[in-house]
Amino acid sequence: MRLAIFFFLLLLGLESSSSAASDISGKVFFDGAAPESVKLDMKMDPACAKLYSGPVFSEEALVSSAGGLKNVFVYVKEGLEGRSFPAAETPVVLNQEGCRYSPRVFGIQTGQILELTNRDATIHNVRATAKEQNSFNLGMPMKQMKMTRQFEKQEVMVPFKCDVHPWMRAYAGVLDHPFFAVTDESGAFTLRGLPAGDYTLEAWHEKFGTRPLKVTVTEGAETPAAEFRFSAS
Amino acid sequence: MKTRSGRLELLSFFLVGCVFFLLMAGGLVTSHDAGLAVPDWPLSYGTWMPPMVGNIFWEHGHRMIAGFVALLTLFTAVCIQRSPEPGWIKKLAWTGVVLVTLQALLGGMTVLMLLPPPVSISHACLGQTFFCLTIALAYYLSPASRKSGLQGEDPLLVRKLMRLTLLTFLFVYLQLILGAVVRHTGKAVYEHMGFALAVVAHVVLVQLAVSRLTDARSPLKPAARILAALTLLQIVLGAGAFVFTQMIQRQGPAAPLHEVVFASAHHTNGALVIGLAALIFVMSRPAPFGSHRLKAAV
Repeated sequence: MRLAIFFFLLLLGLESSSSAASDISGKVFFDGAAPESVKLDMKMDPACAKLYSGPVFSEEALVSSAGGLKNVFVYVKEGLEGRSFPAAETPVVLNQEGCRYSPRVFGIQTGQILELTNRDATIHNVRATAKEQNSFNLGMPMKQMKMTRQFEKQEVMVPFKCDVHPWMRAYAGVLDHPFFAVTDESGAFTLRGLPAGDYTLEAWHEKFGTRPLKVTVTEGAETPAAEFRFSAS
Repeated sequence: MKTRSGRLELLSFFLVGCVFFLLMAGGLVTSHDAGLAVPDWPLSYGTWMPPMVGNIFWEHGHRMIAGFVALLTLFTAVCIQRSPEPGWIKKLAWTGVVLVTLQALLGGMTVLMLLPPPVSISHACLGQTFFCLTIALAYYLSPASRKSGLQGEDPLLVRKLMRLTLLTFLFVYLQLILGAVVRHTGKAVYEHMGFALAVVAHVVLVQLAVSRLTDARSPLKPAARILAALTLLQIVLGAGAFVFTQMIQRQGPAAPLHEVVFASAHHTNGALVIGLAALIFVMSRPAPFGSHRLKAAV
């Protein structure tokens, strides 16, 4: 009998928590002609150059044929004050592969482990230039070398750079909550499990800056799709 | 066969050349944004010789030249110490050893502390100070320093020249500090450009004062003319560096060639300007520390 009551309460709890949370899906668009990608010159390291048979272009601004903008960091900027969220236990992996960072833009929670991996047969250094916390510069001279780091404070964004190969750039959005996403090739994103409330979202792009958006998540109701628009000006 | 003082003179000239090459290499490190391509110090990726790929070429290359210059400075100081040169020249040589050691430490600090502007600016300025010292050392070890070209000149003019060359050197040095601030912070661009006028004015005044010397063969005359020419060139190079680094936005992640060329040439020519200003300053001082050097023969 006690066990039945326990499971009943547990189900009730799960039901109430799922109805109180909502997903926000949306898209990020770039208005106007897509900017031309810059051709990268990898000759300065033959180990990088030989990985590609054709030209390699910068991933700074990637716009789909339908105008979707890739690599935009979308996150809850305001509305979660006073709440705490435990850091995810799964590490975020930042690969150095093909003499590029993968992913180029990512989110990470404060206290969550960032795993840096060198998958290239050449030397890399990983320099994170933070403003709110200690910056670091790590040498990763060997293939398959791994290192880990953590961030202690929120910071949007922390730029990463390889000074050996100046075209290698990445950006981390460090937040003390898990409500963030990065747009895919079509510019789509989803923020999952956001509790009911009024929020200010922000979309950040490395070249085009930021765009804010106010949204309201209502318990039991579907949240309308969010849309951000960037332009070159 | 060269005399001992002749060999010392050659050695000190070789040191000046190596320090100039080192300054040029240092400027290229900054121009390529390669200062942190090697994150550790004094080793490079835990070894003395990492693969010279990407921007490691510039940073580690600079370190190798710096290591050679440090050893050469020490060797020069030891040779001078063992020579019958006067004590003040020995002290000058050992001051060079102290400066190059401090410079190496600043270089290490700027890498380990991720290029904090105060340290990077100090590293840039101390490098040029060391260059001036090696020039002074080479001058005092050369036969030119034994013949004061200012005897028989109007004492008033000599005093004026001494004051003027000192001021010119100090103005160029201040301009060097401003230039280092621009290069390492991107700030004080217009202050640096404005102060160039003060430097130009002083270079012109030195030129005018030197032209009044009665000795037509005074080495100060060609030196002042070269200083004026280098200053003019420096303004042209500075304008180019301003256009390519401040006005035109980079199209790619790496510094383009024209930006590297102008910024590095402006930095390197700046070293020549301050070095020559220092040389003119020491040349314009008749027997500054006592001209009673022994002519040391082997």
